[in-house]
Amino acid sequence: MFYRWHVGTVAWILHRLSGVLIVVYLVLHIWVMSFLQKGPESFNRIMRLLESPLFKLLEIGLLGVVIYHALNGIRLVILDLGWGMAHQKKMFWAVVVVGIVIFVLGAIPLYPF
Amino acid sequence: MEITFKILRFDPDKDKKPYYRKYTVKVEPGMTVLDGLNEIKWRQDGTLSYRRSCRSAICGSCAMTINGVNRLACNTQILLLKRKTIVVEPLRRFPVIKDLIVDMDDFFEKIAIIKPYLIANSPAGPRERFQSPEDRKLLDEAVICILCGACTSSCPSYWYNKNYLGPASLFKAYRFIFDSRDEGTEERLRIISDRDGLWRCHSIFNCVEACPKSLNPTYAIAELKKKIVTTKL
Repeated sequence: MFYRWHVGTVAWILHRLSGVLIVVYLVLHIWVMSFLQKGPESFNRIMRLLESPLFKLLEIGLLGVVIYHALNGIRLVILDLGWGMAHQKKMFWAVVVVGIVIFVLGAIPLYPF
Repeated sequence: MEITFKILRFDPDKDKKPYYRKYTVKVEPGMTVLDGLNEIKWRQDGTLSYRRSCRSAICGSCAMTINGVNRLACNTQILLLKRKTIVVEPLRRFPVIKDLIVDMDDFFEKIAIIKPYLIANSPAGPRERFQSPEDRKLLDEAVICILCGACTSSCPSYWYNKNYLGPASLFKAYRFIFDSRDEGTEERLRIISDRDGLWRCHSIFNCVEACPKSLNPTYAIAELKKKIVTTKL
């Protein structure tokens, strides 16, 4: 019972997935920030941990997730206004291309190695 | 050319679960999937059940999932699918009555919910209710819908929530809400502006891909969303 994944289906699944990941990140972010109230010592300790290459790579991943969610969000707003309905697939590929450009530009300074 | 038909079969009197059964059909250019099913039913296995009527893409009886996409069996040519095996399944998420026949009651119930008829309380003119060609143009796509169910059954929002009105019902709502002669706009907007109404549409476009008449229900739903946010209810 396989149903073919069209371009719109893929865009939707990625949008959902990136949305969930952003919420997970938000919770983790608030948790990290909560170390502030435990004093400078413990906050510095967690910040040192976050400076490790692993977390830098995760940050690059987060950048990609946020860029996709933002750009496809713009695509969805445009479509919900009834514009460019016939070009929704091209708009998805535009999201991918523009997204990759912004992602590369943003990932270079973050790259830890 | 010999093509294998892999058909999802289910007889509620005999089978516990649906199962695939394979048939081999000699296919000539121009033969449709419906021709293939007829070939199987008439010459190989008379127990195969499916709906068909007009065999010219206007009655909407033979919508089914063919190679993972909802289409009409009667206007899908077998050789144009470019596959050695054709997988045929009933429309998903609709209850199966037997083999490829699904229960469409709920589907038509959802069409009825949005009041699919002209509501006009003001007196008609001496001859008829006039409509300008420009106003009629807004309905050009919506009146073509043949209610085959291919769109609603292809919609992921509908797969996850069977209470969702679905693209076919909302498309029908558009057909009357954007009819210049109709006066039931507010009534209908209230019906579709529901948690199981048009807000469940996430612009996935599966319905557009599935529509055998190449219509665009997603566009109609977007217009309805705009209409709702600009109308005082």
